[in-house]
Amino acid sequence: MAKIDLDNASLTFTVYPHKKVSLKEYLVQGLFRRSANPPLAVHALSGVNLHVRPGDRVGVIGHNGAGKSTLLRLLAGIYPPTGGTREVEGRICSLFDISLGFEPEATGWDNIAYRSYLQGETPASLRGKIDAIAAFTELGDFLNVPVRHYSAGMLMRLAFSIATTIEPEVLLVDEVLAVGDLAFQQKAQARMKEMMAHARLMVLVAHDLPTIKSMCTRVLWMEHGSVVKDGPPGEVIDAYVRSVKGPEAAARAA
Amino acid sequence: MIRHLTAIWKFRHFLHALVRLDLRLRYRRSVLGIGWSLLNPIAMTVVFTVVFSNLLGDDATDYAPYLLAGMAIWGFLKESAVQGSRALIAGESYIRQCPLPYAIYPLRVVLGQAIHFFIALLVVLALVLVLKRTTAPLEVLWAVVPGILLALVAAWAVATIFAFTNVYFQDTQHLLEVGSQILFYLTPIIYKRNVLDRKHLSWVLDLNPVNLFLDLIRAPLLTGEPPPADLFLTAGVFTVALVGLAAGTTAWLQKKVIFHL
Repeated sequence: MAKIDLDNASLTFTVYPHKKVSLKEYLVQGLFRRSANPPLAVHALSGVNLHVRPGDRVGVIGHNGAGKSTLLRLLAGIYPPTGGTREVEGRICSLFDISLGFEPEATGWDNIAYRSYLQGETPASLRGKIDAIAAFTELGDFLNVPVRHYSAGMLMRLAFSIATTIEPEVLLVDEVLAVGDLAFQQKAQARMKEMMAHARLMVLVAHDLPTIKSMCTRVLWMEHGSVVKDGPPGEVIDAYVRSVKGPEAAARAA
Repeated sequence: MIRHLTAIWKFRHFLHALVRLDLRLRYRRSVLGIGWSLLNPIAMTVVFTVVFSNLLGDDATDYAPYLLAGMAIWGFLKESAVQGSRALIAGESYIRQCPLPYAIYPLRVVLGQAIHFFIALLVVLALVLVLKRTTAPLEVLWAVVPGILLALVAAWAVATIFAFTNVYFQDTQHLLEVGSQILFYLTPIIYKRNVLDRKHLSWVLDLNPVNLFLDLIRAPLLTGEPPPADLFLTAGVFTVALVGLAAGTTAWLQKKVIFHL
């Protein structure tokens, strides 16, 4: 059964203002117990409880830096929780940072294969799908060119087409994902809607409140890494808009 | 650890495709292609053979395969450690995209090196057959295989340990370059063991783990005699210890390392 369970999950990054710790730093720390590069704790998520069951469509809203994307990465298993527990069951498809993890020197075709293997395809199962993936990208002969020569938009087309060919049980989407040009965006949105309809459960991060209202059954409002409000879309979105714009604007928006 | 290994097995197609890509890219625009991986040790062998067989009075037909075999084994272990130490840093974009078992990144490096290693060993075998006019090494190939497997596992373990270390402490890769330079001269690759025996320095070799793999792989290929059983035991214990250390490092750091990349 597909499910998401976060119990009191926290994520604290330790950031060093100077990116790497040098040998000198090691010695200074060791000898004098004093550091020129003190570690800085950043509480990206604190005490998040989230239980998602099949059928749930969860929208996540909040300011920039509220921890929305970090929450998605935690759910996808990229970040482990530094406190609390994370349990996610089901085949995960994550639609964020999708242009990461390509082999720049390999062709589009090869990269389709690599990424598909990562998603659990085998050479045999891929053979039946690769043409459909290639067709969806509309990249044509560019697929024979190393990905290093692609524009950002082309890379997104490729990434999106591969990522959306699997039938996920758990769909994690960051809506800040602007895919390609206008024509492709429409196509991508149609496919995304289709995926959202088929996925067992979904978590969508978005700033576009009407989208959230129309697609989600439940909304999570986050601030400074904590959940402020969790409930039905209308109620949470109203509260969020009121806190941002003041009560009158909320009344007008409603 | 079993879970880690089954997870890697799940991604075997991915790993296989990337190892092939690495090979293809490395020789993408060279006329000689993979021949370069051979030409380098062969050129060194020729130079050293000319110099040393005159200097030390060794028989050239004896010395050339000895040197080439030593260089092949040494090259594999060294490159696995040095290049493997960059594996996690190089794989950062995958690590941030998709949760994979971490040991898969050093394994990619080690498997790529292993292919060069195998080709070089084939050349050594051919060299022995031609120069020595004997087929004795062919009869002990079965005894070489476990040594090669142990070397692969040990190299993977070492690469994994250094890959993690290097994320926290990026001087690791430079220290490895220097360290391997020193170790090279402490290992009987360009000279023979009896040079040290004469100076009562053979204890240096007994402490040198690289020597284990030289004795397991090089010796039978050259002499046609299977290595003694206790050597397998020593190398096996050493490799298991390395694997334990690598597994421990992975278990300890796999939930932390992403915050340091």
